[in-house]
Amino acid sequence: MTITEVGSARRRKEDARLITGRTTWTENVTLPGMLHLAILRSPMAHARITSIDVSPALETKGVVAAFSGRDVADVQGALPCAWPVTADMVHPDRPPIAVDEVKFMGEAVAVVAARSRAAALDAIAAIEVDYEPLPAVLDMEAAIADGADLVHADKGTNKGYTWVFDSAEAGTGGDAAAALDGAEVVIKRRYVQQRLIPAFMEPRSVVVDPTGDAYSIWSATQIPHILRFLISVVTGTPEHKVRVIAPDVGGGFGGKLQVTPEELIAFVAAKRLGRPVKYTESRSESLVSAHHGRDVIQDLELAARRDGTVTGLRVKLLANMGAYMGLVGPGVPILGAFMYNAIYKFPAYRFECSGIFTNTTITDAYRGAGRPEATYAIERLMDELAAELGLDPMDVRRRNWIKAEEFPFTTVCGLQYDSGDYDKATDRAMELLGYDELRAEQQRRREAQDPVQLGIGISTYTEMCGLAPSRVLGSLRYGAGGWETASVRMLPTGKVEVVTGTSPHGQGHETAWSQIVADQLGVAFDDVEVLHGDTRTSYKGLDTYGSRSLAVGGIALYNACQKVLDKAKPIAAHMLECDPADLEFTGGQFRVRGNPDGGKSMADCALAVFAAHDLPDGIEPTLDADAVYDPVNFSFPHGTHLCATEVDTETGRVTIRKYVAVDDIGKVINPLIVEGQVHGGIAQGVAQALFEEAVYDADGNLMTGTLVDYTLPTAADLPSFVTDRTESPAPDHPLGTKGVGEAGTIASTPAVVNAIVDALRPMGVNDIAMPCTPERVWRAVQGGAA
Amino acid sequence: MEFLQPADWAEALAVKAAHPDALPIAGGTDVMVDLNFDRARPGALLDLTRVTDLTDWGTDGDWLRVGAGVTYRRLIDELAGRVPGLALASRTVGSPQIRNRGTVGGNLGSASPAGDAHPALLAAGALVELASVRGTRRVPVTEYFTGPKRSVRTPDELIAAFLVPARPGAEQFAKVGTRNAMVIAVCSFALSLDAATRTVGTGIGSAGPTPLRATEAEAFLAAELPWETRGAVPESVAARFGELVGSAARPIDDVRGSADYRRHALAVLARRALAWAWTDPGGAV
Ligand SMILES: Cc1cc2nc3c(=O)[nH]c(=O)nc-3n(C[C@H](O)[C@H](O)[C@H](O)COP(=O)(O)OP(=O)(O)OC[C@H]3O[C@@H](n4cnc5c(N)ncnc54)[C@H](O)[C@@H]3O)c2cc1C
Repeated sequence: MTITEVGSARRRKEDARLITGRTTWTENVTLPGMLHLAILRSPMAHARITSIDVSPALETKGVVAAFSGRDVADVQGALPCAWPVTADMVHPDRPPIAVDEVKFMGEAVAVVAARSRAAALDAIAAIEVDYEPLPAVLDMEAAIADGADLVHADKGTNKGYTWVFDSAEAGTGGDAAAALDGAEVVIKRRYVQQRLIPAFMEPRSVVVDPTGDAYSIWSATQIPHILRFLISVVTGTPEHKVRVIAPDVGGGFGGKLQVTPEELIAFVAAKRLGRPVKYTESRSESLVSAHHGRDVIQDLELAARRDGTVTGLRVKLLANMGAYMGLVGPGVPILGAFMYNAIYKFPAYRFECSGIFTNTTITDAYRGAGRPEATYAIERLMDELAAELGLDPMDVRRRNWIKAEEFPFTTVCGLQYDSGDYDKATDRAMELLGYDELRAEQQRRREAQDPVQLGIGISTYTEMCGLAPSRVLGSLRYGAGGWETASVRMLPTGKVEVVTGTSPHGQGHETAWSQIVADQLGVAFDDVEVLHGDTRTSYKGLDTYGSRSLAVGGIALYNACQKVLDKAKPIAAHMLECDPADLEFTGGQFRVRGNPDGGKSMADCALAVFAAHDLPDGIEPTLDADAVYDPVNFSFPHGTHLCATEVDTETGRVTIRKYVAVDDIGKVINPLIVEGQVHGGIAQGVAQALFEEAVYDADGNLMTGTLVDYTLPTAADLPSFVTDRTESPAPDHPLGTKGVGEAGTIASTPAVVNAIVDALRPMGVNDIAMPCTPERVWRAVQGGAA
Repeated sequence: MEFLQPADWAEALAVKAAHPDALPIAGGTDVMVDLNFDRARPGALLDLTRVTDLTDWGTDGDWLRVGAGVTYRRLIDELAGRVPGLALASRTVGSPQIRNRGTVGGNLGSASPAGDAHPALLAAGALVELASVRGTRRVPVTEYFTGPKRSVRTPDELIAAFLVPARPGAEQFAKVGTRNAMVIAVCSFALSLDAATRTVGTGIGSAGPTPLRATEAEAFLAAELPWETRGAVPESVAARFGELVGSAARPIDDVRGSADYRRHALAVLARRALAWAWTDPGGAV
């Protein structure tokens, strides 16, 4: 094998069609006789539906059908939760359309099917609903106080579960309580991870086509395979009668890792009406009803010695689930549980998380899912510890982190970190930032009492990605495995079709997978076609999330390529009239070892197999191969992100002056794609630090229901990023790669907030709630100075 | 919905007189948002984009007269030297797409307290030219706004143009937002210093039911500035000016910011705008 493609900065082959939109998005699917759905949504956070009358909608022009939750109560099923994190988790049935009670603003209450989208939208305005308001439960701490109003009266509690990990109980470490009791220093903080909205670019969209007893479902989803399985289970439709197609999908960030009410509503409507239906949400509907992310209160206690050595950590979380349990929502904080110890050698650790119901949109996976929260907490705490002890924040980290020679390292959570070199990444980052010069400038500006102060923020992170070993998922009560599949098919003309079980929605799998196959099989990059997302062609897979696609699906692909090579070898040997054992595969040719001439390419073998006129005895005439790979471990990318901010102490405005990211994600298939993931990831993490927050008012109305108020950052809000990489190959991966999809988001939020706090620390500031808007920063300065 | 598309200004006025409830549409960057959110369902739209008179600008005696249909992009490209404050404000509007479509006429038509053109027009002492089949009138922009999204414009009138002194003072504009682009201002401030007349103009945005002037601050600063010597502005004068601007605002608490913060930020913006305008008048004073 000759490596020419892997490592090259190929432009993405899928981009021309994605960027111009000349492709199949779900919204572009138009079928004969198709009806358009519009959904009437609850304007209230919590209310009893005392009456609902859809008949005025039926009198509107172009309307074919209208129904409420009550009308379909017996057939609509309930939305699934695949991660009941504890045996006794409270899991109230979630109807796709509310039946008697609405439990959050934006919940579906009635549906209209009409000949055009405009007619459907006009008709929902005619539906009459009477609501009897009920008290809205919004605050998590109030929700678990005695006598609290309840989101689900029949459950008797707003607490969905409590999940605990304790290193002493697990036998993976010491007793955190004891460490805290005897500590020389304890840093105790509360941090709040505000609620965020994934805000993918393409709104969610679904088309359901009922044909005979079978259903074809197009959906803007990250998880076509999981969706097929769950639609089948939830609706009782035989699995082989359900086909799911995720055509091109415009982003997800975890926001499309869900089985949605809208998908089930479209299914129920199509089944009832016997006609194809389409539903596409508006941006406003997306912001209020697609699942949200984060929304966690973290109570943290860090025990340390006066020299900066950490001796224990205790974490207690309240995680807002929203009104119901989402598909993997309850498990999101659990994914973070194993990351609070981060890159450090903490001897004792305890984690406790309670999932709380409130009258808000559900929360679920959002880029990083649990790991950004954990990384934020620990990286903020390390800074606070350094400040408390009067030490340099980087020195405190160095004192505690795992050294390069200590890998593989088993952490206090029992995870085995595969590889890494934290010193190397950090040294490079500090050099790129000009750490020492900036510290000197900071000192000068402090002394001059410059109204614009300089701050330097550090975030040294790792994360567990490449979800995931199936056995580990099983031990965490997750409802599915973590394997991935790939098929490689040699076409007679020497072209290659690859079928992957991953489901790209912007990541560039078609390009990266082509690069891998091109090298392994010695074919041209352009001769590889990657098929995905349609359960008829890609009948098996576990889709894309948790930075798993390359880390897991890439190995399946590699293994499938090896199988193809194994099949081709005897055929090449037969053509070359030699012993297969004498062949080697180099430069795209099977050649007799030591003889550079007269080789046979994969194309030669493919044609020979197609004709099948002269194959060795007993050889099956195919070069196609499938592989399924179940990882043995997670992959643990890491890195050091440094951020220098200018903080205007008079207006509170924060400007990022320089941002340096040195990531170690193992071997890189395509540096351009990696760069894109890092840039986008950092932007999303910066967004949490500075801009974004989903806000509910006291009645449970979402106040940030448009992109004017939910302030996604624009290009004008972000600096140029300085990026570099170190390379600690993943030992368990034949190509040495780790995941990169979430790294930037995980790393960047604490880097930015640490920088702001660092700028203002002399004014007595040691925390600012996110997002650090000008007003909040100004208030912190006022409070700190007072 | 009817779509009315007059070919020229006379026809536009006639159509507006005949359909006083028709909603004018210029760049459409406010109108289309209202339609999309179902905040407005007008019986008719009156499209002004074919009326070429609205896209002209030129001098009219001591005034510069700019047609209501001139876009932010053109203000920046063609008029930055003649309306420096407004050009600065225009640069902060929306995004390139919005600046290519959006007009000052539309900003005045919406009359939002957060309209970014308004503080600069107030500071410059602009006039708004309103026209109908009944005739034309020029209203000082200080008298134009009557409440949130309300103005003195009558249902049969259209905005023809705005006028500013042909020879501008030293102008500045500053804005606090929750991000750098595509944002409704938390508060904004415009300043104009006219050395010839020794007068000061101010405009405050997003901090009251209408865009406001800080008249007390203007009078104070006009009296205190060392016009003669052009020496440095004493720090106490700058600070007092800022305070007076802050106290002229009538802000409320909302999801974008609190009233306290808006007053404080206005004081800071005013102080800074003064420093910039005084030391770097851009050749205009
Ligand atoms: C994404 C986005 C970002 C934005 N950012 C900003 C910003 O940063 N700052 C800001 O100030 N605004 C902003 N806006 C609002 C808008 O762009 C401005 O108010 C713009 O000036 C409107 O101009 P227009 O020509 O598009 O007006 P239109 O939408 O066409 O009209 C606006 C109003 O004015 C009336 N009207 C227009 N022309 C006339 C006329 N000649 N006579 C009488 N009435 C008339 C219309 O009937 C309507 O009521 C933004 C809008 C969007 C969509």
